[in-house]
Amino acid sequence: MEQKIHLFGLSHKTAEVEIREKFALTGFNPVTVELVSRDGPVSEALVLSTCNRVEILCVGTLDDEQIRSRVLAAWASFCNADPDLLGRHIYHYTHREAVKHLFSVAASLDSMVLGEPQILGQLKDAYRKAVNERSTGVIINRMLHKSFSSAKRTRSETAVSSSAVSISYAAVELAKKIFGELDTHRAMLIGAGEMAELAALHLLNQGLKEIMVANRTLERAQELARKFGGRPLCLEDIFEYLPQADIIISSTGSASAIIRARDIRDVLKKRKHRPMFFIDIAVPRDIDPDVNQLDNVYLYDIDDLQEVVEENLAGRRDEARKAEEIVEQEVDKFEKWLSSLDLSPTIVDLLNKGENIARREVRKSLRNLPPDSDEKTVQTMEHLAESLVGKLYHEPIVFLKRRAMEEGSSEKYIDLARKIFNLDEEQIPDNPHAEKKRK
Amino acid sequence: MLSFRILDLIIALLYLSGAITFVLGLIYTRKKVQNVSVWLTMCGFILHTADLGLKYTLGLGEVLTQSQFYVSLMAWTFLLIFFLLWWRLRLDFLSLIAAPLALVTFTWSLAISPATLPIPGILQGLWFGLHIGSLFISIALLAMAFGAGLAYLHLDSKIKTKSRMGNVTKELPSLTTFDRVNHWAVLVGFPLFTVGTLSGFIWAAFTWRTIFTWDPKEVFTIGVWLIFAWLFHKRATGGWKGRKPAKLAIVIFILSLISFVGINFFTETHHSLRP
Repeated sequence: MEQKIHLFGLSHKTAEVEIREKFALTGFNPVTVELVSRDGPVSEALVLSTCNRVEILCVGTLDDEQIRSRVLAAWASFCNADPDLLGRHIYHYTHREAVKHLFSVAASLDSMVLGEPQILGQLKDAYRKAVNERSTGVIINRMLHKSFSSAKRTRSETAVSSSAVSISYAAVELAKKIFGELDTHRAMLIGAGEMAELAALHLLNQGLKEIMVANRTLERAQELARKFGGRPLCLEDIFEYLPQADIIISSTGSASAIIRARDIRDVLKKRKHRPMFFIDIAVPRDIDPDVNQLDNVYLYDIDDLQEVVEENLAGRRDEARKAEEIVEQEVDKFEKWLSSLDLSPTIVDLLNKGENIARREVRKSLRNLPPDSDEKTVQTMEHLAESLVGKLYHEPIVFLKRRAMEEGSSEKYIDLARKIFNLDEEQIPDNPHAEKKRK
Repeated sequence: MLSFRILDLIIALLYLSGAITFVLGLIYTRKKVQNVSVWLTMCGFILHTADLGLKYTLGLGEVLTQSQFYVSLMAWTFLLIFFLLWWRLRLDFLSLIAAPLALVTFTWSLAISPATLPIPGILQGLWFGLHIGSLFISIALLAMAFGAGLAYLHLDSKIKTKSRMGNVTKELPSLTTFDRVNHWAVLVGFPLFTVGTLSGFIWAAFTWRTIFTWDPKEVFTIGVWLIFAWLFHKRATGGWKGRKPAKLAIVIFILSLISFVGINFFTETHHSLRP
């Protein structure tokens, strides 16, 4: 009757995008489909469904094959698809492998773009949803909390998530390396195009002071300026406004260079030689490469940025090796905890009950706090409740474990414990002995 | 005197550990280690302040005739300026130059035997204090501009040539920050340098009844002043930013070092600090 951790999943590594779309589990609730229930195959479950991966993490006591077929059946029927097709694309990890996979996913070591930060947020959302649906228990709760903290560790101790791996972020990082904080700086977007607009958007998110938008026609410029909340300009007027621009993103369809080194020399004088950063996304290039020779002027074209991105990616792959070691360590710690529990169902029930009480009480107390209480207070309260319950239940658990080792008497005590803590959730009337007293 | 020896040793050890931990923190990109380094240096600096103060009050002006005192004061000024910049601009990385520089200067001051200098005449307190104080502060400012200038040139060439940045380079602040250090060092440093030089001449006029004596130090200083004046002019009128002022600040600081070490200790001059 041992509890076992299972992880079923599809990811960009094992399945095409069509398959992932077909088997997406958005809106899937393991409780309503009776995957998790008193008589269901598993006692805890969590569903993660993003565009690059669909995974079900669950804990149950049935044997591997039974759990596999029940979970896949529920999954496939939710998606109105063939379970055999699903079975061909799936990976199934158990025990340590499952824990390790989850921790790697949380640390973004299994992501398509190594080290990208979104996955952790998606996992947190999935966990929050599972908690609200009451489909998690003591093992998944602990496992997810540990996956978050190990992800945090990999992020702070390795550089796996630092340095930009997209062209527009690489441009933003360079701008920050030149100017520092961008909130006093202005940018000019010349022309339009997906990548140039993305770079402009990222810069704006860094708190840019103003953006000027120049285009061949004023109408188009006005349209873009509305989109970015910027100032529209005509292409002919750019030299008049260049002295105000610190960052220039250029992406026009012009066949020849529109900005030359000799033009910039005058601009620099007007700017009192404050630095300028040119980002040339156009092919053929809009900005004369000689501009880069001037002091205090930096020019990156699309190939340069692409190169930066590739170097950063290579750097991330090196860092990922370090991060994997951290994940291994954290998995070891989790396993140690798991084996200390030795997972007899009564102990798991006891812990689950404790956690539920803690969570309920925290929710109640939070209602009494002012609505703008900070994250820290909430966390402290949650921690307090959890550790209080953990400490209170520690002695009974140790007692049960010890009795389990002495043969013969364990059933009696387990039964007693289930009654004392009402683990079978029996409805007890308010006043059960009232009749006796009356006699 | 033994207690002073022990105090000096503790200060030197604090500076040494401050310098080493900062480099370690930078190599392993650990912010905490870098912070520890700044605090170690800070402790050293506080003890150093007490050390100088005690020596001055106990010796009551007599220390002013000891070369040791001046070198130690130079080390102290480096850190004073560093901590001011660290406090105003949060420029931790200057510790990379400030801590080792203070360490070297301070240990050097310990190595000099405390012999008496032939400082002639009546010390005209105000002019002399002005002379030493403003010159030392401006040299310390130049030291910071020197460190920031090296970092600027390194980062600038990395960005210009689009070459791969190592982990240490990635941790560096922006080019603008380094340029701002240069800006303040030049804008504050040059007037102080001028005040220091002028007050020296005035003091000489009072003491020796002559302003200019073709002393090697005086000739050299006027040369440095001219270069510094040029840099100040170019910066203040808005012409120069970035690479050129960084390079020139480096040159001026090296010249000042040559002047402070080479001329004061190895030539015949009435600025001699030779024991």
